[in-house]
Amino acid sequence: MHFLAAALPEPSRFGDFLMAFLSIIFEGAPYILIGTIFSGIIDAFLPAKLLDRVLPRSKVLSTLIAGFLGLVFPVCECAVVPVIRRLVQKGLPLSCAVTYMLSAPIMNPIVAISTLTAFKEFQGLSWATAGNATMTIARLSLGYLVAVIVGLVVLRFKPGQVLRASIANKIEAANAEEGHGHAHGANFNGKLVHAMRSSMRDFLDTAMYFAIGVIITSAFNTQVNQAILNTVAGKEWLALPSIMGLAMVLSLCSTSDAFIAAPMAAFSMAAKLAFLVFGPMMDIKLLFMYSSVFQRKVVVYLLVGLFVLVGVLATPWMSLIQSLYIKP
Amino acid sequence: MSATRTLVHLLSVAMLLLWGGVLLYFHITGRLVNYLPPDGIFRPMVLVSGIGLVVLGLFNLLTMTAEDAECEGHDHAHDHDHKDCGHDHKNHAHPHKDGCCGHDHGHEHKHEHGTCDHDHHHHEGCGHDHGHHEHKHEHGACEHDHHHHEGCGHDHGHSHSHEGHAHGILEESSWPGRIAVLLILAAPLSWAALSTPDRYSPNAVVNKGLYDPNYADTSRADQFSLQNKAAKASAKPDTATAKVATQPATMPPPGVAAASAAVADGTKKVNEKDIPKPAQESKSYGSFTLEDLKAQVPQSKEGNFILEVPELYYTGGDLEVQKVLTGQMVETIAQVLPEKVNNTEGHRLRIFRMLVQCCAADARPYSVPVDFGKKAPEFKEMTWVKVVGKMNYKKEGEQTVPIIEATNVIETTAPDNAMIY
Repeated sequence: MHFLAAALPEPSRFGDFLMAFLSIIFEGAPYILIGTIFSGIIDAFLPAKLLDRVLPRSKVLSTLIAGFLGLVFPVCECAVVPVIRRLVQKGLPLSCAVTYMLSAPIMNPIVAISTLTAFKEFQGLSWATAGNATMTIARLSLGYLVAVIVGLVVLRFKPGQVLRASIANKIEAANAEEGHGHAHGANFNGKLVHAMRSSMRDFLDTAMYFAIGVIITSAFNTQVNQAILNTVAGKEWLALPSIMGLAMVLSLCSTSDAFIAAPMAAFSMAAKLAFLVFGPMMDIKLLFMYSSVFQRKVVVYLLVGLFVLVGVLATPWMSLIQSLYIKP
Repeated sequence: MSATRTLVHLLSVAMLLLWGGVLLYFHITGRLVNYLPPDGIFRPMVLVSGIGLVVLGLFNLLTMTAEDAECEGHDHAHDHDHKDCGHDHKNHAHPHKDGCCGHDHGHEHKHEHGTCDHDHHHHEGCGHDHGHHEHKHEHGACEHDHHHHEGCGHDHGHSHSHEGHAHGILEESSWPGRIAVLLILAAPLSWAALSTPDRYSPNAVVNKGLYDPNYADTSRADQFSLQNKAAKASAKPDTATAKVATQPATMPPPGVAAASAAVADGTKKVNEKDIPKPAQESKSYGSFTLEDLKAQVPQSKEGNFILEVPELYYTGGDLEVQKVLTGQMVETIAQVLPEKVNNTEGHRLRIFRMLVQCCAADARPYSVPVDFGKKAPEFKEMTWVKVVGKMNYKKEGEQTVPIIEATNVIETTAPDNAMIY
């Protein structure tokens, strides 16, 4: 390190930005790769219509179940948009897809572990005191609740009213195709090639949005005096909207945002909960990505709806979960 | 495969190799230590995913001409689509799959199928390029003649469009869009990798809160406050203090130490974050004696207690420790910046260490003022210094500020880990 230091550029304002940019890339890129390998494999290997056969006929019930699908197909929010596109094609109803899209980045094992780690809830964790992992439980449960609420609202609409026309047409086309039962015959090698190609595309798609988000974040992170946060953090009514605004601007990955939220000493637990639930569902990079699937007005409704829903629910929900706390 | 698709495919592979290469480069050169903490999963993940990206890139490079199981987005002019099954092609003298790859069918087959005597075997997948056909498929035991795999083999006359499959941005965009995507993917990463200074400038340190310390803060107090140190010893392998703290229970005052350790181990450690603690609670961690201090903190040969800046920082929230530490000689290594708080006479400097939670982007400066009692000496900003001085605590504003009353401050070399994790 010392011998290298001589060759390195002098620190500068711009160097600060580069440094923050790289460090977030190093932190996030591995998880994006995991997510996109997953989505590639789903794309190639998950039999068409399997989901349709597995999910119950009742759409309400299947929406409730879709909220847990993240446990089976864990993805963070960057990878979830391409994944739901695929899953919709594999026969997943729209309400389920939306619920999955919103909940999977939260209700998933990687995020649960990272939240446990970041909030130091691993220590002393046992089945008897599982309820003491307050933030992890609050985050996963509120994420699930909000995702299901939005999914049930979507149930009232037709795909054509929600999705972009091009996407809605594709689903119909795909459904028409399903009848032919294609995609059965492929051999393993062909599927593997397909999976890896999909992974490559998904990684690059995701990495591009990720890079944009990280650029904005790093600029904010190093060029803006963070003291402005402390001034709003103290007032609860201002803390919630501003921390959700921060989640929006920072566009963090749900697998690592807990590490950012945990040390924000100035904010209350409820505010951090809002950050950790709202952030994975809506932020600047997601705004772009959602617009590629949903009609623009739907994206705006989603933004406003999620903001209000999480803002209203975060404080009472945190109190509720904190009441589960058992003194060890 | 059309020229465009070939080019997009190669560019995609190049992007994967670039990302993988940067991850691997920083891991292999060891420069990653400036970005991610040594403990935990982050550094190994960089290595694994760096390899993964390179492998993924190479896989896609080597299988560029292979068939894809499902076809996507072809611009085929055929009336039917050969998705995965072998079928009787009507339009072509020889059958082939219209793969994912929108190929220009040039039909100049020059298959050199080693020992196989199959005739245009339908590879379930799709997408050979029948433009240049240098098939390298290794058809193990192939003697098929238009073998229809797994019972598909229908003659379909319908023309469906397989646009449903999610395409990459690169595939879907026009060239200006592609160039923009490639720039976003490649430019910031390459630029950052080539010209990152591996350390922050004073500007970032200030923006991250150098002059807004909150000494009563408890957010990572469990890791650094003196009373909890024994329990936390193993978590800090790189700091000098950890060496001593590995022998925690050996020191005399068992009653007192055990009591405070119990407090530390039980309520505070397990669920420190769960229940927001009122500020005053952080001021009483239980009793603390000079013996405890000696037991937990290594001393230099002059008898100075060697403490890290974050440890000194957190003593500002602990009345018991303050009582013991006041007047004691301490020694620490840190970086220096001018003091801008309560420094009208110019007697002070501010020293800090950056503390990282999970990556350098979330590094926060932990700082304490150093008071010289006279005009403070001049140091170049960010210089690493060894500070020796007497600890004191003053109520300034609404906080109790830990202050080192300097007796000796000298320039020194940077420690191995510039940031504390």
